[in-house]
Amino acid sequence: MKEFTEEELALYNGKNGKPAYVAYKGKVYDVSASFLWKDGNHQVLHEAGVDLTAAMKQAPHGEEALDKFPVIGILRNRGMPSASS
Amino acid sequence: MAKVAREMVEKAGINVDQLVELLVKNASAELTTYYYYTILRCNLIGLEGEGIKEIAEAARIEDRNHFEAIVPRIYELGGKLPEDMKIFHDKSACSPAKLPKDPTDVKAILIVLVEAERCAVRGYTHICNMTAGKDHRTYGLAQSILNEEIEHESWFSEFLGEGPSGHFMRRGENSPFVSKFLK
Repeated sequence: MKEFTEEELALYNGKNGKPAYVAYKGKVYDVSASFLWKDGNHQVLHEAGVDLTAAMKQAPHGEEALDKFPVIGILRNRGMPSASS
Repeated sequence: MAKVAREMVEKAGINVDQLVELLVKNASAELTTYYYYTILRCNLIGLEGEGIKEIAEAARIEDRNHFEAIVPRIYELGGKLPEDMKIFHDKSACSPAKLPKDPTDVKAILIVLVEAERCAVRGYTHICNMTAGKDHRTYGLAQSILNEEIEHESWFSEFLGEGPSGHFMRRGENSPFVSKFLK
């Protein structure tokens, strides 16, 4: 499974036709097909291309909201060696 | 725009542009739901569907009322509705409540209805949390709408066999909580 750094994840912000990816608890989800993530924006307050683990605590829904989206990678923590290194 | 009203909300620490955009998205959700519920209601027929038609109609009319109630607040705060209806539709805070592939599948229609209401409950809870103690007028409006959305969710949830909600269908006029904003 593809590994993403935070910088790589930020490239997938859903803007200008790019895919919209978000990370949650180490997994990277592709939310591009979601009506609620049009242009990489979700409910005004959240942008794609970032780790939403902390933001989920304030959300009016639980993590099950991500269940319907495909997991396409994992988010590599800062300082964590990549699988290829 | 209600200049001082906006200023008071800004001074309370709310990002008013964000709030206005959120209100526009929820206004869109209400009006588009009104439209899609019209189609759902038309398809609620037969032995199973007829029993649900009346509450679907009540929810439909009340969602339109929610749209009417939200719009003045958007303009008071210096916002506006998009001029293009297609853009407005695509801004919706909730996914379109589209008729299921099999329009005779009443349970599938009920799932669309309950999911739409759940999206609304989440959205207005979020606006209430954002405005509580800071923007009293938006809070009062969102809280009134939330009361009705929770009842809508309860009605449809009961039909899906998720257990009793303690609610009864509307007696008398629609929008018992929101009507004060429509007078």
